[in-house]
Amino acid sequence: MNCDYLKDKRILFVDDEEGLRRMVCSILKKEGYRQVESAGTVKEALGLCASWSPELAILDVMLPDGDGFTLFEQMKSFLDIPVLFLTARGEEDDRLRGFGLGADDYVVKPFLPRELLFRIQAILRRTYKEETPLLELAFSKVDFERAEVIRDGEHLALTAKEYAILQALGRNLGRIVTIDALCEAAWGDNPYGYENTLMAHIRRIREKIEENPSKPVSLITVKGLGYKLNEKYHETH
Amino acid sequence: MKSIMKLIKRFAVTLIFSLALLLILNIFLLLIVFRPDAGTEETAGGWKGAAKLAEYLTLQPDGGYEMQEEGTAMLERSGSWAVLIQDGTGDVIWHSENLPEEIQLHYSAAEISWYTRGYVADYPTTTAAKGEDLLMVGNPKESYWKDMYPTFRLSTVKNLPRTMLLFFGANLAGVFLIYMAVTSGILRSVKPIVQGIQALPEGKDVYVKEKGLLLDLAAALNLVSEKLRSQEYELKKKEQARADWISGVSHDIRTPLSMVMGYAAEMEEDAKVSEEIRQKAGIIRMQSVRMKNLVNDLNLASKLEYHMQPVKMEAVNLAALLREAAVYFMNLDMEGKYPVELAASGSTGGDFCGDKELLKRAVNNLLLNAQLHNPAGCHIWLRVSEMEGQRCITVEDDGKGVTEEQLKKLRETPHYMLSSGDAQEQRHGLGLLIVQQIAAAHGGRVEFGHGEKKGFRVDIFLDCNPKNIDEI
Repeated sequence: MNCDYLKDKRILFVDDEEGLRRMVCSILKKEGYRQVESAGTVKEALGLCASWSPELAILDVMLPDGDGFTLFEQMKSFLDIPVLFLTARGEEDDRLRGFGLGADDYVVKPFLPRELLFRIQAILRRTYKEETPLLELAFSKVDFERAEVIRDGEHLALTAKEYAILQALGRNLGRIVTIDALCEAAWGDNPYGYENTLMAHIRRIREKIEENPSKPVSLITVKGLGYKLNEKYHETH
Repeated sequence: MKSIMKLIKRFAVTLIFSLALLLILNIFLLLIVFRPDAGTEETAGGWKGAAKLAEYLTLQPDGGYEMQEEGTAMLERSGSWAVLIQDGTGDVIWHSENLPEEIQLHYSAAEISWYTRGYVADYPTTTAAKGEDLLMVGNPKESYWKDMYPTFRLSTVKNLPRTMLLFFGANLAGVFLIYMAVTSGILRSVKPIVQGIQALPEGKDVYVKEKGLLLDLAAALNLVSEKLRSQEYELKKKEQARADWISGVSHDIRTPLSMVMGYAAEMEEDAKVSEEIRQKAGIIRMQSVRMKNLVNDLNLASKLEYHMQPVKMEAVNLAALLREAAVYFMNLDMEGKYPVELAASGSTGGDFCGDKELLKRAVNNLLLNAQLHNPAGCHIWLRVSEMEGQRCITVEDDGKGVTEEQLKKLRETPHYMLSSGDAQEQRHGLGLLIVQQIAAAHGGRVEFGHGEKKGFRVDIFLDCNPKNIDEI
């Protein structure tokens, strides 16, 4: 998926450890994010929120002049942006509190840069999807806004279930998504027992997106576990 | 309280039994001691003696009477006297030589009837027939007591067995009432103490009012309870301190470790750096990931060990759980060196009650374990099966496996977190300890062994319905 437009999003990173601030900013910049700012205190962070209007905030929980949860609430009162908590507090209660407040993700330190980048990208893609361009696959493009697949200039409509399944896969491009997660995306809370139906839907999606549905390139089966959707130019290992 | 009731029952039965025994014994003794003295043929006392004396009194040819020697000897032995009263006239026609002066020598029919029942001038009498005449024997004063009205209603005598039973029953009831009155006081004192002792092993707070019969015992019990409570508190405090300390250290190490991991990963991907340095950065990155896992494991292991990790039981589909764990692991395995295969369809492994996050953690630990010990990569198989009422999660790889010696160590050597700690030998990692702790939390166990493909194999057996989760 071409995500270049996301690289212009303003990202605010709040952490009291200067070394970590420098590192995360450098990682983000290297990844191509052009607008990254950091703050070491609640006060500084609120100031930046007011003056600079970030579009994504990454917050630590323990800050010298307050805690990340309170900062989150104060920030949310005037700025509706997605928030990712990046903290050393990995307790279940903290995690639940973070999600309970409405955080988009919760990452416990230490973390691998790749993981953080992936999560940031996923949040941005989810939040700013009105600008979502077409998802480019090997032999077709998926237009999530119109719920259709474009192959060789032909527009093929997606059914509601096919759309839900493709969306779940698209949100995790290049990663395996379990059968259960896909069933849940399509059929809701009690997803067990739909595996065969899911297989039928996958076959129909393949007929729409693949050149040869019996030798899929974009929508790969991972035996016994789930499926993986690959972008057009994905690297194979 | 059961024991008290048992005690009462036992005591009451013993009491009733001994009472019955004593009663029978007493009646027997009474009968022996107070048997009516009918006299013998040797002494003149008693009615039989009188009859014998009458035999020894012989009529002389002159019409008078004479006592034979045996009769005189009998009278002398008992110190008695005798008179023979003639029928019709009431005159004394013979008397023994030792007749006291105050004894009259003529008797009317009314007097004879009265003296036969009772006494003549305080001499207790017995009588016997001598032909038509009456022989009256007077025994020494105060030698006999005579029942002067020896008459009972026949119905009273006939009802005697029933009356005796009634007496016995009434006696028993009386004794029981007395016993209850006495013991209820003791029971009142014993009951709170027994309840207190019974509450002690349940870990409840025990306080017994220090009053009544067993005041000392109550005070001692309160002291024991207090001591137990304070010991428990101290132990909890110590465990909490250990868990907090580990949690604190693992928290503080996270931010610096983030930087080590971050820069190492950055360097590893930096095309401007030489291949050798990139490789070294890769090693640093991998080792810091290992440290991260260690820190997480240490924290969880200490919490599980000190019961500070709440176990949240819910319905879990084990197959779905394995898929989730496998996919999480595979998505992090960028190079695809550790393909995971799952042998479980959607419905097997359903209807299990367990802590989803902990079980996922256990499987993930085993996957990471396979990765750690097989740096060149390996194939991993996950399986869920049901046997003997237990669910079994199997994680198996085709990696380098373990030797018999290593297996023996794995099975027998406790981890340093569980041992008193002076042994210096190398023990297995925290990862496997956590798997064991999580299995235990589900009422299960873990078995290590060789896989079919010569790799390492771990079976986690889980109880289908773990009952008391607090026990972990």
